[in-house]
Amino acid sequence: MKRKLVSVLLTAAMVATMLVGCGESKTDNEAGKVGTEADQSDSAEVEKIKIYLPSAGKRDDMAKVMEAVNEISREKIGVEVEFKVYDFGQWFQQYSLFLSGTEDVDMLANYGGYLNAVSQGAAYDITDLIQEYGQDIIEMEGDYLKSGEINGVQYAVPIYASYAWNMGIIYRQDVVDELGLGEKVAQVKNLEDWEEILAAVKAAKPDMTPFVTNSGNTAPNFQYGFWDDLGNNYGVLMNGGETADVVNLFETEQYAQLCGVLNDWYNKGYSNKDIQTQTDAFTVLTQNEAAFSTIGQTDFNTAFYQSTSCGKNMGAILLDTPVARTYNNVTYTIMSNTEHAEACMKFMNLWFSDKEIGNLISYGIEGEHYQLNENGMGSYLDGQDASTCTYHLGSAISNTNRIRWESENPDYAEKLVESNSSAQKSAALGFSFDPTNVTNEITQLDNVCSKYQIGLESGALDPETYLPEFIAALKDAGLDTVIAEKQKQVDAFLAANK
Amino acid sequence: MNKKSFVKQAKKYWPFYVMALPACVYFFINNYIPMGGLILAFEKYTVSGGIFGSKKVGLENFRFLFKSADAWIMTRNTLLYNLVFIAGGTILAIFVAYLLHELKSHISRKVFQTVILFPGLLSIIIVSYLANALLAGDTGYINMHILAPLGIEPISFYSEKKWWPFILIFVHFWQITGTNCILYLANMSAVDPGLYEAANLDGADRFNSFKNITLPCLVPTIITLTTLSVGKIFNSDFGLFYQVPMNSGAIVDVTQTIDTYVYRGLMNTANMGMSAAAGFYQSVVGFCLVMIANAIIRKISRENAMF
Repeated sequence: MKRKLVSVLLTAAMVATMLVGCGESKTDNEAGKVGTEADQSDSAEVEKIKIYLPSAGKRDDMAKVMEAVNEISREKIGVEVEFKVYDFGQWFQQYSLFLSGTEDVDMLANYGGYLNAVSQGAAYDITDLIQEYGQDIIEMEGDYLKSGEINGVQYAVPIYASYAWNMGIIYRQDVVDELGLGEKVAQVKNLEDWEEILAAVKAAKPDMTPFVTNSGNTAPNFQYGFWDDLGNNYGVLMNGGETADVVNLFETEQYAQLCGVLNDWYNKGYSNKDIQTQTDAFTVLTQNEAAFSTIGQTDFNTAFYQSTSCGKNMGAILLDTPVARTYNNVTYTIMSNTEHAEACMKFMNLWFSDKEIGNLISYGIEGEHYQLNENGMGSYLDGQDASTCTYHLGSAISNTNRIRWESENPDYAEKLVESNSSAQKSAALGFSFDPTNVTNEITQLDNVCSKYQIGLESGALDPETYLPEFIAALKDAGLDTVIAEKQKQVDAFLAANK
Repeated sequence: MNKKSFVKQAKKYWPFYVMALPACVYFFINNYIPMGGLILAFEKYTVSGGIFGSKKVGLENFRFLFKSADAWIMTRNTLLYNLVFIAGGTILAIFVAYLLHELKSHISRKVFQTVILFPGLLSIIIVSYLANALLAGDTGYINMHILAPLGIEPISFYSEKKWWPFILIFVHFWQITGTNCILYLANMSAVDPGLYEAANLDGADRFNSFKNITLPCLVPTIITLTTLSVGKIFNSDFGLFYQVPMNSGAIVDVTQTIDTYVYRGLMNTANMGMSAAAGFYQSVVGFCLVMIANAIIRKISRENAMF
């Protein structure tokens, strides 16, 4: 009997610990959430929305900042917001989950395109809402708002960023100055010309790799090319979208020539033998004195921006005139299953236009999280820096409605608006490709690309042998079908936007 | 079992049932309820439609698995690697377990066991960088400190296919053998020492007593473990096949498995239906294989079958 009792007690204890375990982990989750539960008192007229977004910035004092934001937005539009902020790594793992509609999301940031959100039916149709509540957004974005539109339906709002850019070379200006290469660099007009500089750097700095890829092997090296890639590389408009003829990028002379240059550099030892498996990005390598130059997206602000993120004096050479293309790299969408679509739109408009809100969300409260220096630019409080401050989210939906940070280009806002409004525009500006009809083909094409693209574009594979193989494999996987579908959609888009 | 005897049994052994309850609840919640989600494999999932209300598309989601030119390559790789892992893994585990078992010193046995077990505790990301430190073209240990002094041209491991079957199999065994041999080691300790003494008196040498005593005692364990791994023969260790080759494109022909194909293909499109279809396909094939394997074993020797 006694023994029996013991076993019962043990069992009970076991079950109890399990339940306790569950309970604990749940409270942990609750505690881990960022943000604040707003006052319950005036919830009758005030709508509450939750915005999910990634950021690398500090946000310990989120609750306090949100209170300040809500004070303004409650008064102006009758909306309270709660920001759910995730680190980038975690964000990309959870993004699919947010899209699945099982989380309590009202408004969502989309990094790297919002087409998945649309094809899964997760994006709210905001065509009418934006007309009603988003006038400030419409006025500011102009033509560029079309980047958030598919088949005449507005699904997303792209952040107001630099739309006009082209492929360019990004390099260490300080090394160029040190080696006295300034004059030669000034004469560089195309990628081949760069070889002379690479050779000089290789001879003078044996520990520094003269050329590396922009983002390691996590993205193709020509991700930001001379062509308008129309959402993915399966069918592009050459020369930044001069005409609306969708062509096979990989069969163009320009592509073969670029691969040839890179392969030549690889063979001559200007790039690393392990370039294909290198996972570190240019920024990281530069910070560690391990890299001299790369190619990538370049615009009026690149040299400035890269100098900040690499912590070195950087230079940039645009290899062609900047062209504005569809920009949907960072967009905000409203979740299709939200009950507060209007409130979301109202808040998006406020965030887009209101300087106070813009500053609060980016930098926090003046005097508490940041201060203004004599030039009217923001800086950390005395004795604080990026790692010790309690709030510096850095996220913005419009890059013009906030004060400039001290590390930024002081004229950024004016230059940005000027660059965007004066740029040459791609023939298909605003077009977004809807891949629904060709999902099977794209799955296969992505697999073919994972086999060849990184190798060819980093120069590790000889294009003489592998480019024809790559093209044949792409055709087998149905590239022509996708190109035909894309052309059809581009034609329809142009007809609708005449 | 009829109803009456079940009630009788339940009365007699009820504490055991209570003890099993948490596990049953766990499996029900964690493994059985989500099976309802398998319906996703037959749908074009939309958020507004939800899991059960989305448009049904029949077998459309499965097409991408078979249509591609890679279908053959990935199936071949998955199957062959798994066959080598199962067969080689079992032999290696028994061999290592036997060596450990034969060690007389208690301390050295523990030391060796811990050393062999350790790689299994490393994250595959760390393993992939350890491999990279050995294999890298410019800075790798093998190229810099072994091949170069011997005057051999450096090998570009990450772009030559021929090395990878060996590298992957080696890494897998290096990681997994320690864990695998624990069960066999426990089984060997459970064998009645009297049997060995008797065999010894009859003049049996080590090999003979291993063949005629140790091995037969291990047969039930071998069969159970093998049948279970047969069920996973269409799955692969994603980390091993994706991380260890550092996602190098040039060697995809020998490192592509069903899991990496699905990942590479759906990473950018995040298609719920198609990923569910891939998982569904792997599970169904795995389930059938377990049933077949068990049926065959039951035919051959009834008492060793799992069910």
